[in-house]
Parts: sequence; C-alpha cells; structure tokens
Amino acid sequence: MPNQVSRRIYDFLKDLPPFSFVKEEGALLQVAGRVEVQYQPIGSIIFRPGEPPRERFFLVKEGAVELFAVNEGEERLIERFGEGEVFGIRPLLAEDEYLFLARSAEETLLYAINTEGFRELLPNYPELSSYLATLMAGSTRSALQVKARQAPALIEKENLGGPDLLDLQTIHRAREPISCQASDRIITAAKLMSEHNIGSIIIVDKKERPVGIITDRDLRQKVATGIKSNQELVVEIMQSPVICIPPSITVADVQIEMMRHKINHVVQTEDGTDKTPLTGVISKHDLLVKQGNNPAILIREIARSQSATELRVLRERAERLLSLYLSREVSISFITTVMTQINDEIIRKCIKLSLARMQADGRGNPPALFDWLALGSQGRGEQLLRTDQDNALIFEDVPEARYPAVKDYFLQLSSYATEFLNDVGFAYCPGDMMASNPNWCLSVSKWQSQFSHWMHVNTPESMLHTSIFFDFRGVWGDGSLPAKLTAHIFSNLEKPSQRFLSSLALAALDNPSPLTFFRNFVVERSGEHKDQFDLKARAMRPLTDAARVLMLEARQGSVNNTFRRYELMAKLEPQNAELYQAAAEAYEVLIRLRATMGLRRNDSGRYLKPSELSRMQRLLLRNSFGPVKETQSLLETRFQLNFLR
Amino acid sequence: MEGFEWLRKLRSSMGKSKASEPDSTWPEWYQRYFRATPNKPADEVPLEELPIVIIDAETTGLDVKKDRLLSIGALRALGNSLQIADHFEGYLPTPPDQQDARAVHIHGIIPGSRRYDYLEEEELMEGLLEFIGERTIVGHHIGFDVEMINRALERLGAGPLRNRVIDTADLAKRIQPSGYWSPPEKYSLDTLARRYRIPLSDRHTALGDAYITGVLWLKLKGRLLEKVGRDLVLGDL
Repeated sequence: MPNQVSRRIYDFLKDLPPFSFVKEEGALLQVAGRVEVQYQPIGSIIFRPGEPPRERFFLVKEGAVELFAVNEGEERLIERFGEGEVFGIRPLLAEDEYLFLARSAEETLLYAINTEGFRELLPNYPELSSYLATLMAGSTRSALQVKARQAPALIEKENLGGPDLLDLQTIHRAREPISCQASDRIITAAKLMSEHNIGSIIIVDKKERPVGIITDRDLRQKVATGIKSNQELVVEIMQSPVICIPPSITVADVQIEMMRHKINHVVQTEDGTDKTPLTGVISKHDLLVKQGNNPAILIREIARSQSATELRVLRERAERLLSLYLSREVSISFITTVMTQINDEIIRKCIKLSLARMQADGRGNPPALFDWLALGSQGRGEQLLRTDQDNALIFEDVPEARYPAVKDYFLQLSSYATEFLNDVGFAYCPGDMMASNPNWCLSVSKWQSQFSHWMHVNTPESMLHTSIFFDFRGVWGDGSLPAKLTAHIFSNLEKPSQRFLSSLALAALDNPSPLTFFRNFVVERSGEHKDQFDLKARAMRPLTDAARVLMLEARQGSVNNTFRRYELMAKLEPQNAELYQAAAEAYEVLIRLRATMGLRRNDSGRYLKPSELSRMQRLLLRNSFGPVKETQSLLETRFQLNFLR
Repeated sequence: MEGFEWLRKLRSSMGKSKASEPDSTWPEWYQRYFRATPNKPADEVPLEELPIVIIDAETTGLDVKKDRLLSIGALRALGNSLQIADHFEGYLPTPPDQQDARAVHIHGIIPGSRRYDYLEEEELMEGLLEFIGERTIVGHHIGFDVEMINRALERLGAGPLRNRVIDTADLAKRIQPSGYWSPPEKYSLDTLARRYRIPLSDRHTALGDAYITGVLWLKLKGRLLEKVGRDLVLGDL
C-alpha cells in the first residue's frame, strides 16, 4: 500500500521525464516506493569513470550535480544537472562502465532510482525507451564534442576544406562510379566500399553494364546479421535491376525518379538504359547538395539575377544553406566567409541595379570613384542573418564647385541601393546609419575629418558611432578609398590618443558579462525582455568592442572579423595567446548560437530564453562568459580604466 | 514487608539496568528486543556505518501522563541515504476518553476513521521494537516520543527503549546555536524544515514527519561534518 512518503516521491516524479512517460500510476508508485534518498554534501563524488554500473540511476531532488570528462587527470565540465534532472542512466541501458565523473556542485539531495523494477517498464512504454536513448546519446555526443574542442586544428581541416568555395564544390561533386563484377564475392564489394569510403557499389557485367547495386544497408541487413556469408557472390544480396538515367537530366527529374522508385541511388549510363556502360552514380545526398545548396552556384545566380525579388529568393536559399551548415556543425570561420561573400555579392548586385536605375533616370555614370562601406557586423564579415543594414558611401575628393552635384548623385544612388537591400530583406537601419543619409555619404577628406572628430571628442554619441563605423569594409571599389581612411585613422593614433583608446576600452566594459547561466540565468532588468538574455549586448558586443580597440592599439587595419582579430592578437601577444584564443572560440560559439536561434525563430536571434536552449547550448554559452570577463579585465589593466571609472 | 517495597523496587531497577538477562515477566517480544540490544554502540563508531532509525510519533496531546499514542512512523537510514522501502507505519485507535477535537486538527487523524488499519497497542510496540532493533534512534524533540513509547511499553509490562537516541533539534542548535534572543520555536521541525528547504506537504502524519526528520538529519549531519572537518563518529553528537 502506498504510504505518504512514496506518494510524495511519486508526486515529484510523475511530471518529470522520463517518469512522465510511465502512464500507469501503480507502476510508478512502486518505483517511488523503492527510491533511496541520498544526501550529498558539496563536492561529493557520486560515481567515477571506469566504475562498474550500479543498480540505480539518479534524479536531482535539490541542488546540482556536475558531470566531468576526466582526461589524464584533467577535468572538463560536460554537463550540469539541476533539480528534476536525471543522470547516470548508463546502468539502465547498457552494462557499461561509467564514462564520466559525477560530483555534487552544491549541497544535493538525490533520489537514487532502482534500475530493477524500472528497466522492466521500458518495453511497455516506447517513448520512455527512446527518451532515455536520446539522453544517453546526447551525453556521449557531448563527450565527442569535448574531444573535438581539444583539437581545433583537426576540425578546421575536416570542415569541408576551409574557406574556399571551389573546394566545397569539388567535395560535393557527383562521384565516379565504383563497381565490381557480378562474379565477385560480397567481401570484395565490401572492401571496395570501405576503401573508397562510399555507401554503395554498382554491380556490372563483363561489358560494364549495370546489373545491380549493393548499399550499406544491404550489408547491414543481409550480411552483418548473418543471413548471408560474406563469401557468397554479390548477386546474392544485390538489388536488381537498377534505375538508370541518361547523362543529361535535370535535378528535378532525378528527384522524381528516386521518389517514384523509393530508392536513394540512381545510375547514369551512356544512353540512360541498362544496355549501355555505366558512367556515373548519383545518391540522394549528392542531390541535396546539388539543389542549389552550393554557395558558388548561389553567388553565380546572384550575379545573374535581375531584380530584388529574385535576390530575396536567393538570399532565402542562402539561409537554408546556413541552416544546413549549422546543423552539420561546419566551422564558423567557413560559414561566415561563405555568408559574407553571398551578402557582399547581394550588395554589389543592389548597387548595380541602382546604377542602372540612375542611367534610366538620365543621370549617367558615377561622377567620381566611390566605394560602398559595409559597417557593423557586415563590415566585420560576421553577419549570418539578415539584420538591419548599416552602410555608408565614400567617394574621392572632387573640386569644391562640383561637390554638391557629386554628393547628390551618390545620395540618390544610395537611396536606390538601400531600397533594393530593404526589398531583399535587409531592413532599413532604424538609426539611419545608411549611405542614403547625407551625413554618411561623404568624400574621403570629409570622412577623414569625421573620423578625427570621433577620435577626439569622446562623447557617448562618438563612441556609438565608433563602434559601428570603425568596422568599415569596402565592398564595391578597388579598396583604395577605404585604405585612405584607414591610413588617416592610424596617423591620428600617432598623436597622443590614449584618451580615445581608453574611452573605447571603457565602452567595452559597459556590459559586464554574466558570471553564470545556470538556474539564476542573468536577465535584462529593463523593458520587455525581462526574462530573456541579450546575447548581443552582454556577450558579443564586449568581445567585438575589445577586439576593435586592441586592433587599433596594435595599429592593425586589415582584419575586421572579430575572431580573426583575436587570432591575430594571439600571434602579436604570445603571452596572452591563450586568452585571445579562448575569446575567438567564445565568439564563434556566440555567432553560431545567435544564428541557430535566429533561424529557428525567424528573428535576429539577439534575445535568448534559457528554456529554448539545449543543455549543450547552455553549457557552451556559459563557458563563453569566462573569456568575455577575462578580456574585459585585460582591457581594464591595459588602459588603466579603474582610474577612469 | 510493606516498608521494604521501595527497596525491592530499587534493587530490581538496579539489577535490571545491569543485568544482561531478560526479566521473565516481560512480554516475549520485549525479551527478544532486549536480547537483540546487548549494548549501546560506542562513541568511536563512525557515523557513516551506524544503522539509524528515524522515528516520529503522533499523539493525542503533549501531556505524557494523560495523552496517548495515535501513530508511529519510522524509516531506516545508513550513512547518507534513506531507504524509502524500508519503513514502519502503524496506527492506534483513538482512546474513547481522548476523542476531543484538540489534536485532530493537528494530526488530521479523525477518531475511529476507517482510513487506517488500526493495531492494538501491543502489536504496534512489538512491530516497532522489531523494526528498531539495535539501531540508534533519531528524531525531532525525540525525548517526548521516547517517553510516550516508554510509557506505552510500561503499560504493557515491558521495559523501556534501550537504544542510543539523537535529537535533531539538539543537533540543529549545535550547528546554529541560538542567541539569547532566539525564540524556542526556532528549532521546531517546521522552522528547521523551512530553513533547510524541506517541503512540508505531509506534515503531521507520523511517517511523513519521520521522512522530513530523516532528510533534516542527513542535512544537519552534512553541516556538522563541514564544521568538524573530519569523518564523524557517534561521540561527536
């Protein structure tokens, strides 16, 4: 008979996964009645890696438990569990040893749940089993991620070969067919497949005509299970006939063939029938890649497009590409490079469309050399989502008499260009930091005095403008005009400029990073985003601001990208290399998180609710706060900011 | 021989406290308990290895002479854990002369309610002593509960509890001594449970209170460990 205590424990369990999947009250009451309540003072070890599994798993009733991967005596935090979360489920599903070290991070009360009596419930509730399997897969994956983070160089290489668009194209090129003879044994085919690292092999006759196909799945289902011996002939397990296509066929046609036959591979032959020799093979995966999810093709299509509407569609395709990259954990340096090139190409196209419109208006060709300056995140080459546009226009110095007319031409051009950009999906800047604003459409020398002003008059407004305009990047011209601006800034810095740099550094300290993220999630106290976290202001901006001032101090003008700035700083200051490297990695995590959330919610991804983040995202985000804080302290010391505040 | 009655009583009580032989006038179940508890655990016994039983009694009131037991709940603990499956729970019918509403609103046991399977007092005591065995008793203001149990045992012609007893209220005072300003209710189970973040949903059922006391015991022990800075032994309490 259930007593009050097991009833009390039952009440706690019944709403929490995985227990919530047990729909039968009696069964769960029995589980509750066999719980062992464990008290763990702070710092107690609950289990260690390599320990044999115990006949129980754990639920945090109160407090917190941390899971660490232990590698050569070094502990790396993997997960942190709070009230109502389950851990140590390995003994429930596998007779494996524990992989991690579990230690209480606070005074903790655990419910140790007997696996016996619970395991028996698994077959009755498929949801329960699949939840537990996912939970365990998650923790194993996080172990891999932790390992991966330890070897960043390796990842860079594996991530589709670095930031070269052509490389990506080659990788996704449809592959040469690998084939074997019908008289070959299964083992030969399997060896060929693993040798070429492919998922399928075509069986051909003596005249190279396709007769069948063997895929990974056939090997798994028919050979690995022991139904067929690997010494038997390939014809024993191959699927036949194969679906053949001619060499010239559209992607859509291939897709239709695959759908119609419910298959994942089609074979290309000389004439599209199985009566002619094999020439290629296309898998469903190859097809997905071909479906416009190729940045080089996308960029080409942008260049060819004729209207903002077309550009908008292409930019939406770029967003799908982005989402694909994010889901495949492609490196941020690659993603930002691709997306920046796409965005730049869109900007250039919008300018071209605007120039055409100027022609149509009868205003002719540009009266002077000019460049379009991308500002803010696009200037830094970090813009992944379509956020508000920030841009400016610079033109070469012209005689005073011509100035008004020249400026008027470029203002009109800019107003067309910003309109096109708005149509593509880059909304007008609410602060009007756009080339169409007369203040931000200037000649080289007028821009130079504007920058001098910002550097010498340290008002909050100057600081705001500095944070946006100093990350300018020319996307239209040959780079000579922005270079003049850069040279001017550095010559200004030659004069005593400590006050300017200090004010910039001080601005980077405006938003102290949150210390932690767990349970007491730091939220904005002001306004509508009370229960949310401002990712941009609290974590990203301090890093971009700090990187900018460090680059200015180091007189480095060529690098705009925040994480590349930190990578460069790491080279310039080896004594701080570790911190800069951590800051670069943290920034990549933040960009990735913001883009992922933004895509999911179809917004800027700026504000985050703790509840929408996965455990791993929360952990990574929390881990990024450390470098933010350390970078801020570095600025504080370097620019002696404690005296200024 | 009437004048020597006091001497016989004294002798027998002195004899009893020293004797390892059970008194044959005791009920058989008490004799069994007596034999099972030859000596109290020594001060050097590490607390982690000490078998504990957490007890809570609900009564008709606070007067040990007049009031009666209504129910007893007990849980076993070892080291840092409580075994929920390992519990004892028993209810007594409310004595007819105690059926006033005084305590009903506290413990919620309605006289003669059919919600419980009632035991005779003797059955309850027999089961309880078997459950306790030679474990060290832990309870909140446990002196009262022990006294109520001892009086019940006496009525049944049995001897008193022989176990070591630890009071969680005393332990709480040691961990956070009261200033002269602190009111006595500072160490009530309700206050302590709130301070140590133990939900109070089942208060005033004996087993529910035993559970709360059990969690309190684990937490207080943890605090004491921190204070003492080495593994605890029974003598530390």
